[in-house]
Amino acid sequence: MTVRHYLLSDDPETRMQARLGRTYRLARALARNPLAMVGLVIILMLLIVAALAPLLAPFSPIEGELANRLQPPSATHWMGTDELGRDILSRVIYGARITLMIVLLVAVISAPLGLMIGTVAAYFGGWIDRVLMGLTDIFLSLPRLILALAFVAALGPGIENAVIAIAITAWPVYARIARAEVLTFRNAEFLDAVRMQGASSLRVIALHVVPLCLSSTIVRVTLDMAGIILTAAGLGFLGLGAQPPLPEWGAMISRGRSFILDQWWVATMPGFAIVIVSLGFCLFGDGLRDVLDPKQRSRG
Amino acid sequence: MSLLSIENLRVTFPSDHGPVEVVRGLSFDLGLERLGIVGESGSGKSMTGRAIMGLIPPPGHVSADRLEFDGIDLRNLSEADMRQMRGARMSMVLQDPKFSLNPVIRIGEQIEEAMTVHSACDPGERRQRMLDALRAVRIDNPERVAKLYPHEVSGGMGQRVMIAMMVVMEPALMIADEPTSALDVSVRGQVLHILGDLVQRRGMGLILISHDLNMVARWCDRILVMFQGKIVEELGSGELYKARHPYTRGLVASLPRIDEDRTRLPVLDRGAL
Amino acid sequence: MIQVQNLSVRYDETTILHDVSFNVAAGESFALVGESGSGKSTILKALARQVKPSSGAVQIGVDPQEGADRLTLARQAQMVFQDPYGSLHPRRTVDDALIEPLVVHRLPDRDQKVLDMLDAVGLPRRFRFRLPHQLSGGQRQRVAIARALMLDPPVLLLDEPTSALDVSVQAEILNLLKSLHEEKNLTFLLVTHDLPVASFLCDRLAILKSGRILELADVATLRTGNFASEYGRELFQRSVG
Repeated sequence: MTVRHYLLSDDPETRMQARLGRTYRLARALARNPLAMVGLVIILMLLIVAALAPLLAPFSPIEGELANRLQPPSATHWMGTDELGRDILSRVIYGARITLMIVLLVAVISAPLGLMIGTVAAYFGGWIDRVLMGLTDIFLSLPRLILALAFVAALGPGIENAVIAIAITAWPVYARIARAEVLTFRNAEFLDAVRMQGASSLRVIALHVVPLCLSSTIVRVTLDMAGIILTAAGLGFLGLGAQPPLPEWGAMISRGRSFILDQWWVATMPGFAIVIVSLGFCLFGDGLRDVLDPKQRSRG
Repeated sequence: MSLLSIENLRVTFPSDHGPVEVVRGLSFDLGLERLGIVGESGSGKSMTGRAIMGLIPPPGHVSADRLEFDGIDLRNLSEADMRQMRGARMSMVLQDPKFSLNPVIRIGEQIEEAMTVHSACDPGERRQRMLDALRAVRIDNPERVAKLYPHEVSGGMGQRVMIAMMVVMEPALMIADEPTSALDVSVRGQVLHILGDLVQRRGMGLILISHDLNMVARWCDRILVMFQGKIVEELGSGELYKARHPYTRGLVASLPRIDEDRTRLPVLDRGAL
Repeated sequence: MIQVQNLSVRYDETTILHDVSFNVAAGESFALVGESGSGKSTILKALARQVKPSSGAVQIGVDPQEGADRLTLARQAQMVFQDPYGSLHPRRTVDDALIEPLVVHRLPDRDQKVLDMLDAVGLPRRFRFRLPHQLSGGQRQRVAIARALMLDPPVLLLDEPTSALDVSVQAEILNLLKSLHEEKNLTFLLVTHDLPVASFLCDRLAILKSGRILELADVATLRTGNFASEYGRELFQRSVG
């Protein structure tokens, strides 16, 4: 039996086969969406560039030759040089690592936290719901940048604090999404059935409720990546995130502000990088949503 | 000339395993009568109704040698033309008023909407026709009901509102897709009575699609039994006992009776069909 | 086996059940017949502990219900729900659904029990790792029945188990239920609005209207329609007419 047959079989013989089959079907459906594939390519490129930065970057991202400062894009320096003579291309490449780190850390912290809170709130309802949602509302109303400023004032600037600031303001959204999702099937009979079998609330929530919220959460995280990148860039721009000489894209744009009229490449190159990566996440997230949550599919 | 003439209707959907034909060469004519189409899930009965109304969304594909309504060839009509027909000359009553009525618009407004789209009467006349439509479906207090929202009325009344919405433009053809399945047993009779009344008084042709064999056999003038996309039998009203096709006979036999004395119910032998 | 005594259920201002009482003996098959709004499903829910009685008591088996933990209750009675499309977790395979109760109760021999149960409800073994959306309505209902029987409960609560199924499938499921009832000597409490189904499956029945029991009868009365209450006769007429 060919691999394809094995995966598409209607009667899997083992748990593993069933799971692989499902993943394969999803992947195939996703592959049919050209825009999603574009997004995926962009994301993969980000990962590769971040992983292979030392190999790919032609120059050092932090050491520059002052004699070479503010050179326009040329054959040696594809993206030109900045005000300290550093190669912008190398800085953008190394900056991918920082961007990726921020995005992953925020996702890993805020999504599970929000998912848990939203699920528990919706499942139990009553005062638990009210308290948790009240908490969520408080955090939702905190303006991200102001909070970051507050953190900086308290703990000093730096990437870690930027990540924490963003994560703290990001989790409420996932809580709300998870809660809305759980509310739709909270009274479903399959949950009644599991409870009747004697399952504890913890088991019901962890094994039966959360799996149903996962796809919408994953989609939302992917779509949010773009926003997180922009927020991190914004923080960097304000000098609150990555500190010099780290090549964080937002900080690079900030530095390039002063030269924007005559030496446009200093600010624009990292700007392109941000736009392309954000777009990649958006396209992929859209495609993922179409595949995982067909009800929200856009027409056609 | 028949009101509706169908020959070799086919509805196909693509799937992972190649195209699937859910309606396979259906042919029948409809006059000013009550025609019942009976079948189980997957028989293609609902798809037939939707194909007639032009409501099969892509990637579904409809084809027919003949699909004529009142002399008009429905196969080649543009979507804009079909929209003109729907609600005005042909209409469809769906199963569950909870889902087929807009929950945020008052009942009166929803009924009037059909008139706004299809005719040019002034608001006073529209309101009058709306109230008349509600009266035609035996709603005694139409002024009061017109101001209510769909969730404020019972299932049976919601279904009658749906019917009113569908007859206000006096269509020649009505297709009712499981109009009573979501209703209490006691209310079903009322809804059927109203439909029958409308057919008679307004000279409509009605196609009643249902899985309830007994109900359709008792109430319709003619029945078509569908199985796997094809018509396997045609019977007259009350003639279930005369069924000859093994599928129909099997279905009738497998229904439990009120004076049931069998230890096991006969089960349809699908291999033999 | 099942005792319902003066059960009343109130929700906010509305009383759903008024002082309902009846008993079901072990091994008996009992039907609660009525239309929607009669309260018949609420009685099942009270027995399944999904709804708290406002007054009165329900008891399954000889053990007292008060304070019994959920694991004990789970082994006494299980429920088969009406909607085959809503009663199975959409992301769990058949195998997952059947193994779940065994895992919760830490019972051994799981694989073997799953295979035996698939055979018992007439599902081919190759369906074991399918997801609900890959099964027909009748097949899903078989899974629901199998799931209910995994813990070997003496009592099965059935909430309109066939009303959402196609006619031809209904007969199969009714036959299956009848066989299981006989083979395992189960006690059935069946809720239905369909009198012929009650006639086929049950020994005795109660007719409910607006939260009250109007009449208790046995199946012989149902078959002839000789009900004492007028409502009972009316229901009979509608089924036949």
